[in-house]
Parts: sequence; C-alpha cells; structure tokens
Amino acid sequence: MILAFAVAAAVLFGSGAYLLLKQDLIRMVAGIILISQSGVVTIIAASLSRGRAAIDVAPGERVSDPLPQALALTALVIGLATVALLLALVHRAIVVFRTAEQDELAATEAEHEAGLERRRQADREEIESDPDGERAP
Amino acid sequence: MVRVIARLLPGPSLMFAAGLIAKGYAEVGDGFAAGVIVALAVALAYVALGAAGAEAALPALRHAPKAAVGGLLLALASGFFPLLLGDPPVTHRPGPGEHVTTIGTLELFTPLLFDLGVFLLVIGVLTVLLHHLARSREEAAR
Amino acid sequence: MAVDRGGTRPTADRPGWSACVIAVAGFALCLFAGGAGFSLPWAPSLDLRLAFALDGLAVLYGLLATGVGALVFAYGTRYLTLHLEHQRRPAVERWRFWPWMTLFAVSMVGLATAQDLVLVFVFFDLTAVCSYFLIGFDRAEREARRSALMALLVTVVAAVAMLVAAVLLHAEHGTFAIPELLDRAEPSTTTTLAAALLAVAALAKSAQVPLHFWLPKAMAAPTPVSAYLHSAAMVAAGVLVLGRVHPLLARSEAVLTGLVVVGAASVVVGGVLALRRDVLKQVLAYSTISQYGYMVMLYGIGGAAANGAAAFYVLAHGIAKSALFMTAGAVTMATGEDRLSRLGGLGRRVPVLAVAAGAASATLAALPLTVGFFKDELLFAAAVERGPVTVVLAVVAATLTFAYIGRFWIGLFLGPARGSVGAASTLLVAPVVVLAAVAVLGGVVVEPFARLAEDAATVSAGEPVTMSPGYHLDARPENLMAVAAWALGGLLLVLPRLTDGLSRAFAAAGERFGPRRAYDGTLRALDRVSAAVHDREVRDLRGSIAAVLVPAGLLIGVAFVATPTAGAYMVGIVEGADWVILPLLALVVVATVVTARARVRLVVALALAVVGFALAALYALVGAPDVALVAVVVETMLTLVFVAALSRLPREDPDRFVPGDPVRRRRDVFAALLAGLAAFVALWGFLSQPAADSVSDEHLRLTPSAHGGDVVTVIVADFRGLDTLVEITVLLVAVVGVATLVRRGRLW
Repeated sequence: MILAFAVAAAVLFGSGAYLLLKQDLIRMVAGIILISQSGVVTIIAASLSRGRAAIDVAPGERVSDPLPQALALTALVIGLATVALLLALVHRAIVVFRTAEQDELAATEAEHEAGLERRRQADREEIESDPDGERAP
Repeated sequence: MVRVIARLLPGPSLMFAAGLIAKGYAEVGDGFAAGVIVALAVALAYVALGAAGAEAALPALRHAPKAAVGGLLLALASGFFPLLLGDPPVTHRPGPGEHVTTIGTLELFTPLLFDLGVFLLVIGVLTVLLHHLARSREEAAR
Repeated sequence: MAVDRGGTRPTADRPGWSACVIAVAGFALCLFAGGAGFSLPWAPSLDLRLAFALDGLAVLYGLLATGVGALVFAYGTRYLTLHLEHQRRPAVERWRFWPWMTLFAVSMVGLATAQDLVLVFVFFDLTAVCSYFLIGFDRAEREARRSALMALLVTVVAAVAMLVAAVLLHAEHGTFAIPELLDRAEPSTTTTLAAALLAVAALAKSAQVPLHFWLPKAMAAPTPVSAYLHSAAMVAAGVLVLGRVHPLLARSEAVLTGLVVVGAASVVVGGVLALRRDVLKQVLAYSTISQYGYMVMLYGIGGAAANGAAAFYVLAHGIAKSALFMTAGAVTMATGEDRLSRLGGLGRRVPVLAVAAGAASATLAALPLTVGFFKDELLFAAAVERGPVTVVLAVVAATLTFAYIGRFWIGLFLGPARGSVGAASTLLVAPVVVLAAVAVLGGVVVEPFARLAEDAATVSAGEPVTMSPGYHLDARPENLMAVAAWALGGLLLVLPRLTDGLSRAFAAAGERFGPRRAYDGTLRALDRVSAAVHDREVRDLRGSIAAVLVPAGLLIGVAFVATPTAGAYMVGIVEGADWVILPLLALVVVATVVTARARVRLVVALALAVVGFALAALYALVGAPDVALVAVVVETMLTLVFVAALSRLPREDPDRFVPGDPVRRRRDVFAALLAGLAAFVALWGFLSQPAADSVSDEHLRLTPSAHGGDVVTVIVADFRGLDTLVEITVLLVAVVGVATLVRRGRLW
C-alpha cells in the first residue's frame, strides 16, 4: 500500500509539474491543483495506521491518526482559496492582455522590460556620476 | 424542474448544515463543511437561474459580504476573547471537567460560536466568489 | 536670491517648536533625574530586556543631545522656513523634517541610556534611519539622495558587526545586559573578537578612517541636521558606544592599539584635508572626522585619565562644532554663498555672529578662557602618560586643528569684504551666541563640566575617575605642548603653501585609492548582480519556475545520493479494504494523466474533478470521514468555479494546441518525468518511515476533556484552533483579492 500511495502521489506531482510548464495559464492552475492534491494524499497516506475513524475513541482502540487529517482539512480549504485567487488572476490577465498564452504575455512583458531598462540606466548613471561637491580651488 | 429545486434547495441545505454544526463535536462534520454545503445550494441557484435571477429569488444573498466579515469577526472574537481573561488564545469554555449544558446533541460551549463564525464566513466568501464570477460574465456580455 | 526677505513673516513653525520643547524637557530630565533607571522584560524567551539607566555616561550624552538639540531645533525653525522658501517648497514639508529630527534626539537619548546590547543596537540603527531621511530631506537633489544612501549603508552595514558581537557575547556569557557583560568578560579570543566588532560598528558611525567618506557627503543635509549630526547625535553615537563598552575593549590590548592607530589616522587625514577645503561645511565635516579621531585615540590610550579626557572632549567639541555649523548656515543664509573663496570681511557687517563664532573657533582651537583649553590640556596629559609617540600625535592634532579652524574664521570674518549680505535673522544667530557663551563660561568655571565628564568616565573606565583641569602658569609638559601647537598652527596659517601640496596630494590619493571607490564599486557590482538576477528571474515565468524547481530537485537528488537506502523503502501490505483503495488510486492516476494530456480545457476541468472525487472516496475508506466530506464539497465547488472561469476565457483555438516546438515539448516531458521520479523517491521514503508515536495520542487522550467525540473536529476547533483562525482569514483575504482582480475591489 505504501508503494501504491507513493506512486499515486508521484504521478500527481509529475503531471502537475508538466502542466506548470505549459503555455496555457489555465493549465498552469490545473497543475497547481494537482500538486496540492499530491500534498494532501501524502499527508493522508502518512497516517496509514488505518483503524476506524477517530470518533468516540475507547482507550487502546486502533484508529486512524487524526492529526494529519486535520492538517489535510486545512490544506483543502486553503487550496480552494488559492485556486479561486489564481483563477481570478488568470481572468484579469486575459482581460488586460487578451491572451492566456505565456509567450504572448512574455512579449508584452518584454516591452515593459525595455522601459524598466531605461529607468535602470538612469539609476546607474546616478550612482556612477561623481559630483564631489568641490574641486580644489 | 431544476429551477424549482434551485429555488427551494437553500432551505433544506440550511437545515442540513444546522444538523452538521449541532452534531459537530460528536460526529463527522463542522462549520466549514456545513458552510460549503449551503454555498453549493446557492451555487445551484446561480447555475439554474443566472446571477440576476438567483439574486432576485434569494434576496438574502446580498448580505453575503456582511456574513463573511461578521463570521470572521465572530470566530476571531471567540478565539481571542480568552486573552482578556489571561488565558492563551483559543481556550474554550467550559474548561475540561466542567459541566456542559446540552440540548439533544447540541452542546452549548464556545467552540460552537467558533464553528458558527466559520460557517458564516464560508457561506459569505463562497457566495461572493460565485457572485463575482457570474456578474463579471454578465457585465462582459452586456 | 538666497537673501533673507525679512518682510514676509511666514507662519510659525509649530512642529519645530514642539520638537524644541521636547528637547528642553529631555534636557531637564537628564539634568535632574540622574541615576534613575528601569528595566522591563521585552522578549524574555530571547533574554532581552528594556533596560535603561541614567548613569554618568548617559547624562553626559543625554544633556549634549537634548541641550544642543534644543538650540539646533530653535535655529532650525527659522532655517527650515527660509530653506523651504528658497526652494519654493510648501511649508507643510516641515512634517517630513521635524518628526525625524525629534526621533533622532529621542533615539540618541535612548542609545545613551540603554543598558542592553541589543537595545543599543536598535537605537544605533534608529539614528541611522533618522539620518537617512534627514540627509535626504532635499529629495529633489540627486546628491542629497546619494549621500543619504551612503550614510545609511555605511553605518548600518557596519552596525551589523555590533549585532554579531552581541550574539557572540550572549553565547559566551548568557546575557545581553551590558553591566553584567562587562563584569563577566575575561580576556579571551571571543572577547577580543567581540570588542573588535563593536569597535568597527562604532568607528564607522564616528566616521573614522577608512569609513569616513560618508560624513563629508552628509553635508548635503540642511544645516540644522549637519549641526546636530556632527556634534551631538549620529557621529557622537559611535564614540558613545566606545565609552559604553570600554571596559570590554580594554580587555584586549590589540583592540586598544587598533583604536589608537585608527584615531591617529583620522586625526591626520581629517585635519590635513580640512586645511584646504573651500566649502564651509566641508571644512567643518573633515574637522569632525579629525576631532572624533582625538576621542577614539583617547579611548585607545585607555585608563582613567584618557577616559576622562575623552568624555570632556565630547562635551567641548559638541558645543563648539554645533555653533560653527550654525554659523556656516547663518552665513550662507545671509549671503547666498557657501564657499570660503567667495566670502570674507563679514566681521564688520555681522559683528555679533563674528564674535560668537570666534569664541566657538577658539574653543575648538583650545585657546585659554574657553572650555576648549581644558579639552586639550586633558588630552596632552593623557598623551604624556602613554608615551612619546602619542605626545607627537597630540601636538600634530592640535596644530592641525588650530590651523584649519583659524583659516575658517579668518577667511569668513576678516580681510576684504566679499559677497552681499542680507540681514541675518536673530534666530539664526542667537543659538550660536548661547553656545559661545557656554563655551566661554566653561573656560572660566570649568567645575560643572569636569564633574559631568568625571561621572561619564567613571562608567567607561570602570573605576572612579577624578580630574582637575585648571590654568597653571608653569612649564609643565601640557602647557609646553599647547604653546608648541599654537606656534606651529600659526605658522601653517601664515604660510599656507607649507600644507597646500600635502593637502592636495591627500585629496588626490583619496580620490584615486580611497574607500569611496571601493564603496562605489561595491554598489555598482551589487547593482549589476541585481540586474542580472532580475533579467534571469523575472523576465520569463517559466524561467523563474525553473529557477525554483531545478535547484530544489538537484538538492533533493544530492540528499538521496548521500542517504543510505538499506531498509529505507517498504512496499507495505495489501489487506481488507485496500482492494477497494487500489482501483481508486488507479483511477486517480489515469485521471491525472488525462488531465496532463487533455487538449481541450473543459476536459482538464472534468478530469481534475475525477481526480478530486476519487481521492475523496479514498479518504472515506482510510478512516478519514471528515476529510472525505470536506473533499467532496470542496471538489464540487472547485469544479464549478473552474468551469465558470473557463466559460469566460476567449474560445480556444484547437489548432493552436499542437505546439510548434518539439524540442520544448520533449524538454517539458523530461522535466516532468524527472520531477515525478524525484517526488516518488522522496515520498516513498517518507511514507515508509512512519513516526513511532505521534502527538495525536495526546490529542486522542484529551478529546473527551474538550467535550468532544470527533477528534479531528476537536483538533481543528480547539487544539489547533489558531491554525483554523489563520486559515479562515486567508479565505477572506483571498476573496477580497478576487474582488479586486475581477471587479476592482467591490465586494458585492
């Protein structure tokens, strides 16, 4: 069973990584979802001392470990919030840039970058120029 | 048919959620799950009736932001109130070994407030989320 | 243009006068509350205390910071108004000045009274932060911004050494409290190292060679700031720290010798450079480097006499230097000129200022009938005690001081009249007169000043110090040295050619090899590194993800190669319900692969849903009903939200998906396989080694006393309730984020 869970979690992670490398922003979000699922599976699998659910436990009874479950709960909830935020972000990017493709976003960014480069050049001049306040009289 | 159910479902879902909260500490389920279940009923309404229709049929929805903020405040208050009494945060009352008044399976103690806060917050947050997704669509379409 | 237009009365500078009142109150406090102190726990787990005490050293520096502060602030109320008027800036910009100025004074008093090394560090840096905003007050001017940054970087980076020293000492002696540290420290390598680090921080602050270059630059600040910074606040803070930890420094002969060397170098470099500067404030700035060199040298000499002399020197110098800076500011305000070469003969036109500035200059030059005479007397006495080398150094120092300050005063007030003079505002002259009066008073009745210095030196020397400065009309060595210094100084004054070449050579050498270049080079290099990282990191999202994932993967790989694997991996057993779980896991794997390979976005969403629901079912089977319930509802919501988001994307062009770049595709597959493999190896190893006992045993045991049955719920709501609070806060923050992105922040 340990091996089976490890394989499943690893496949989730690997596929998530693959999707993250994609061009499409929506697929990147899907990749993030898969990776967080992989995390939750791992947490749950870590409590594989499977007995029955930890409810009204009699002393000495074998139950599943409740702490990883609590952690998994938190992870799921936070995951939902993050995904909602990510989707909103993608939505915004599409509204502003009219594309969900990374390369096109990168092109827009490159333009922006050129502007930044000019500003940086100005900064550099500021550091390098050397008005020492006075020349020897 | 779906529309009728969508209109009626929030009622029973609230009942179910109340049950989840009431059983909270003794059985499976807590404020979070209860909140999401109510939010799912709301979601059905949005899907079936559209944003404008859902909000017309269920006028209570526009209080969602208040529910979210109020829920958070309630949960934070019940969490940090013990600080005023000199206890660590999230110290619940009655303390260990003390008597808890119960009505059926409903236990009257501070975690209940905490759970209620979470419940309200989740409903509010998810409803606002649905609202935004649905509304921005309609605004874009216009 | 820069003439005081007396006609227009600007509105009263309320924040400035408030700062002044605060300073006066602080002065009274320091005067009457000597010996008071308190100590409150700050962060007990880190052994930090808010420990303050008004001991002798604190009283001395506190009086200096608040007394000079009050006068400088009063001067500033007028100066700043004129300054803003000349630059045509609104009067409301005062509010960017006075709060920092007040904080400057407060942190200086805090630094003087703090008895905890970390607290000292905090106030030390606080003065640097204040100085940053004050030096950069004229933020429209590039020079001001550059200078502010330079002062901040040099002093704050050096201050890190102080923190390191504090940690070192704490590791060795288990306390940050300075009195106890001074008690416990024995001569050892650690003590030497800590002392050296403390000294580095202090020397950078006091603008000692080779970290002196920021100070002349800092004259870009408005004059009240310069006056305060040079005399009683920023630069004095370094010497204050030296005095505070002096018993510790004295445990190491090497550190003391280093102080003497650095001090002497600063005296000479500062003094020689001050001889030929043209800009008024630069003469004074290099003079400050040189003067603090004296004090550092005195602390390096060590012992009761030198400590007393150092404390007295701080006092005398603070009074004289603030008066001289305010003189320079008043002159510049009245004439619009800030260079010696364009000024002259002001003595007849502003006689009061000339006399007052003369008294201040005489104090610095150690002429009799001023408090300055005694500072040199004590210096000479300490030097004689130490040996012939320091005697020569002391005479050289005094000679240089006499020469450059003489040139300064003579150049300003004597000779042919140059420059047009407007009316000098009373408020710009009065503080100088007050300080000059104090200086002359101290020259007649030296007793109170001597007592202050004695008390301060008692703290820094760690033993009772008595000193009795006075006029002695005999041929004792101190008097001979003083006479020699005046004579030589006078010679330099009359024959400027003697030093011209030397000063030029110094300036040129400093320009070519000086630490300024190192600073500029470092800054440029940092800038380049930052730009390079920025280019690599930010330009391409894929690149930045790779920048995180690839090193992480490599690290994990290294860890695995380095870890012995025998017995680390367990296959596990399959029994009972596992036969249901296995197909579910298989379903998860299949759906995951479908997600990764899907060509249409909707399929991605649906396959994601399959993954989620299969996992939820699985959770129910492994005894986690709570997680299963939440997973089901969350998954439903997620699918809904995902599909809803998909529905507002531009329609996908199915042809587009066939990517044109097979290399890139192969690379992606390879990277993903590698990531999956690494995750597999890591997770398998992790899952194979379950912890023997878990904290949850405790949770299981305690659940009934929390009036609960479902342990998971109790953990969420009670045992780890704080986590849950944070988590739900995240929910709300996320939805506010969504609202901001989608609907410009409207929640409904």
